[in-house]
Amino acid sequence: MKSRSWQSADVYWGVAGAVLLVVLWEGAVRAFDLPAYILPGILEILVSMVDLQSTLMDATWMTVMEAVSGYVIGSACGILLAVILTLIPTLKRWCLPAAIAINSVPVVAYAPLVLLWFGMGAESKIVMVSLAVGFTVFLSALTGLDQANRKSIDLLRSFGANPLMIIWRLKLPAALPLIASAMRVSTTRSMIVAIVTEMLGAYGGLGWVIYQATLQIDFVQVWAAIFAASLVSLIFFGAVSMIERKVIFWR
Amino acid sequence: MSLPLKNVPTADHQNTSPQVAPASTLLDLGGVSKTFGNVQALSGLNARIGTGEFVTVVGPSGCGKSTLFNIVAGLEEPDDGAGIQFRGQSCKARDLLGNVSFMPQQDLLLPWRTVIDNAILAIEMEGMPKAEARALALKMLPEFGLAGFEKQYPNQLSGGMRQRVALMRTFLFKRDLMLLDEPFGALDALTRTMMQRWLLDVWQKHNRTILFITHDVDEAIFLGDRVLVVTARPGKIKLELPVNLPRPRGAELVTSPEFISLKRTLLEAIEEESMKSFQATTGH
Repeated sequence: MKSRSWQSADVYWGVAGAVLLVVLWEGAVRAFDLPAYILPGILEILVSMVDLQSTLMDATWMTVMEAVSGYVIGSACGILLAVILTLIPTLKRWCLPAAIAINSVPVVAYAPLVLLWFGMGAESKIVMVSLAVGFTVFLSALTGLDQANRKSIDLLRSFGANPLMIIWRLKLPAALPLIASAMRVSTTRSMIVAIVTEMLGAYGGLGWVIYQATLQIDFVQVWAAIFAASLVSLIFFGAVSMIERKVIFWR
Repeated sequence: MSLPLKNVPTADHQNTSPQVAPASTLLDLGGVSKTFGNVQALSGLNARIGTGEFVTVVGPSGCGKSTLFNIVAGLEEPDDGAGIQFRGQSCKARDLLGNVSFMPQQDLLLPWRTVIDNAILAIEMEGMPKAEARALALKMLPEFGLAGFEKQYPNQLSGGMRQRVALMRTFLFKRDLMLLDEPFGALDALTRTMMQRWLLDVWQKHNRTILFITHDVDEAIFLGDRVLVVTARPGKIKLELPVNLPRPRGAELVTSPEFISLKRTLLEAIEEESMKSFQATTGH
């Protein structure tokens, strides 16, 4: 029911909002005659996106590859770790404070170290994204796995289920809504982390394009790269949201 | 988990009539007590359940009925000194895990599983291949009034249907002893009467032993071969009332003089206990 109303009315409002933003933006640029280094016009940016097509495509492909790989690895590790810690409560008491401490520092703070350890190539970006996504998904999964109804657990125990069966048949499905919402939020986060890490050191990717363009004082190109990043982020977010609604149909 | 208790054929195949006095004792509880902190839930409770019997348990709210059920389901251990015998063998409560088919108050259906997959949950965990389990359950659907609903999800069902899916899950998990904890408590009066008659039919056909908790005196008499009245906390058996009413039982039974007289006896016993637990909680 919720998803249907979202699809109809909310989409129109979203489109209307985007159109309004474009009009205000383009209007402001023309009305105040803003120079390109402050804010270029949207049309100008779009034209440059077409001109820079091949550069942008390569950069976007690289960033997306890094973000998605890191996203998949991070999500898988986060869920797996949460399952292991749920199975071994003693280990959970030991590891949880450390995990929260690591997570309380913005992941980007680790970027220089990760670049040092894993080099300037795609590996360091994948590691950074995995870290960022992994911790978010891990902490949500851990909470979710704990949320299964005590009575349902007792029911399964009365059927003679062992802890592994209880995880697989009850706790994991019960945790899915929380895991999925963490994974949905992590889509944009993985793009952000990939781009920021690229800015700190890379041979390609959208972050690298933005950094290089800034050095060359080519702000139209900076905006072109930002637009490409936004577009890809939106698609990533939309795709994961769609999968979420399909998988968690009972909500 | 004690292996000797497992894989013993259930009473299903024997064709003993439930009217005949049970030949053997299935479950024997002797001196069962349970203390939580400084609250004593059960105190020296004794009960005996015969094979094929339908025993109902009534008592004031908070009398430790659920504690009793958790012990019999194997989910909780009683205090030291309790004697539990299952099929004539002394055992711990936890040895009963997996040996009793337990149905709690709420249906506890898994929202991500269809009707059929909810019904086979227990036997699937026993190790039966999914396809085989589904085929078995599919054959049972009409009997539980669920024919054609196998692919529905729990949130598409009415309360009565959800309860029947939960019952089917309990029945498919073939164990000698079935524990039903107020399974019809949340249903409206009309649905409840229908479900009670239906449960009697299914029970007689499958020849199971049932221990059934309820707070409804009519339900206790209508269903049971014997009614056990539990005292106010700390719970023990106050009264054991045999119900010698003919089976199969129909709706007209509840207005018969025999039924009314049994009901009076039970109500008096429960009234006394309810007063006690009421006074205990209000401090008068």
